[in-house]
Amino acid sequence: MITLSNLQKVYQGESGAVMALDNVSLEIEQGEIFGIIGKSGAGKSTLIRCINLLERPTAGQVVVDGQDMTALSDSELREARKRMGMIFQHFNLLSSRTVLENVCFPLEIAGASREERERKVLPLLELVGLADKRDVYPAQLSGGQKQRVGIARALASQPKVLLCDEATSALDPQTTESILALLKDINKKLGLTIVLITHEMHVIKAICDKVAVIEGGELVETGKVYDVFTNPQSTTAQDFIKAVVNNKVPDTILASLSAASIAGGNLVLRLSFFGETTNEPFIAGLIRRFDIDVNIISGNIDHLQDIPYGTLLIELSGSDEAIQNALNYLQVQDLKTEVIGYVARHAHAAN
Amino acid sequence: MSQDMLMLLIEGLGETFYMVAISSLVSALLGIPLGVILVITGKGGIKESLVFNQTLGAIVNAARSTPFIILMVAIIPFTRIIVGTSIGTNAAIVPLSIAAIPFVGRVVESALKEVDAGLIEAAQSMGATPRQIIMKVLIPEAMPSIILGMTLTVISLIGYSAMAGAIGGGGLGDLAIRYGYQRFRADVMLATVVILIAMVQIVQSSGDYFAHKLNKR
Repeated sequence: MITLSNLQKVYQGESGAVMALDNVSLEIEQGEIFGIIGKSGAGKSTLIRCINLLERPTAGQVVVDGQDMTALSDSELREARKRMGMIFQHFNLLSSRTVLENVCFPLEIAGASREERERKVLPLLELVGLADKRDVYPAQLSGGQKQRVGIARALASQPKVLLCDEATSALDPQTTESILALLKDINKKLGLTIVLITHEMHVIKAICDKVAVIEGGELVETGKVYDVFTNPQSTTAQDFIKAVVNNKVPDTILASLSAASIAGGNLVLRLSFFGETTNEPFIAGLIRRFDIDVNIISGNIDHLQDIPYGTLLIELSGSDEAIQNALNYLQVQDLKTEVIGYVARHAHAAN
Repeated sequence: MSQDMLMLLIEGLGETFYMVAISSLVSALLGIPLGVILVITGKGGIKESLVFNQTLGAIVNAARSTPFIILMVAIIPFTRIIVGTSIGTNAAIVPLSIAAIPFVGRVVESALKEVDAGLIEAAQSMGATPRQIIMKVLIPEAMPSIILGMTLTVISLIGYSAMAGAIGGGGLGDLAIRYGYQRFRADVMLATVVILIAMVQIVQSSGDYFAHKLNKR
């Protein structure tokens, strides 16, 4: 649906040229929710604006729905933009127009009659749950409601692609959830391709099928969300994942941790399991098979794209031999086992 | 106050009203597009053209820095081309408009610059033409500020119109100078001043009212 090839964007700043995008290539399939994550200044805003050419790339090609955007004339580009919707971090609603008039705006630009506008727009207001607010001005709406108007407006021209520029960054967590749920709903109901940029990994985790990680204007990692989450390759991706997957070793344990084996000490392990393996009772198995105690220090099990995914931080205590056998058992299982270190028995008060 | 003086006052009020109304209308008709052009050709504007913008800006500044009384006399040949005479109320309208156009241009420019760039970007993302962006985004969004700016213009024009007497334009200011000052008629002076104060008050209050009514922010 969207193919970016070797995109480059150079800004001529006062202190010389700044490379905002450096050789970015990306393939976005029809009907998927594609997330682009990066810290501020990484180039993600520039990247999403290159898709509808609000920013014209210095070099490279942008193909949307088979059309080479960079080769279009001004008027052809305007027509192409009508087939793409865009929503914004700060909503960008016209303050002088009511909700209904705002949502009608793209159709008005396209020259639709008043009857046609209302006929197309009223179902959209239903879809975003704002039918009762049609004659209200944006100033009287909450942030979440404003973004719903933004979404309805972006959908008014029945686009094939929806571009979301930090659409939830100005919203509180509950509102973010509801907006993300709405986006996912639209994606399913209308088969709309959604491209979103964000600096929040939980947004990616909540709704995206694929993710691209951008850093310093370059894509450092691209893949299915599940793969990137469970096996991040770049340090940038790892940093982002840390923000949403809490598998840190608590400070109290870290303080007494030693990398070398301590005679009669406890072994601290991190287990990561994906998919089907999540359903297997490893802990029970460990205790039953070996003469050891298992203490769960921390853990979480989550779902990514409806696939269970979890990490557990556990501490094994027992004879050195039993612990070694338990470790050997775990290492042949279908899960990722990391040895974090050893702690002297009763060195902490966790149990 | 005699019946004659009352007639003179009413006549003066009519002339002032006429001069201010026509020159306000002309300055809005030409000054608003001027403000739009200043914004869209400025840095980051939708039709950026910096050399043109700076040239136009310099002309606007030159017109604005010319004292009105000088401007009025200096453009007499132009006035004669436009209205066919260089004396009288109609002749005064030309310099009043010429003085007010760049003023309105700057006022409108600053009003339009207050419009959030995000709104323009949103309209562009929907495929709006530059004309649609101006007519459907920039001007409606800036309308409350534009109205306040026009209010300011009308009040300035009431003040400038007092100088119209210099080219026989008449009006209340002229009356105040000729009767109130030169013939020591304190009552005429007081009456004109009171009428002018009332006019300014009414204009300001209506401007504030409409600006507030249109402001949905």
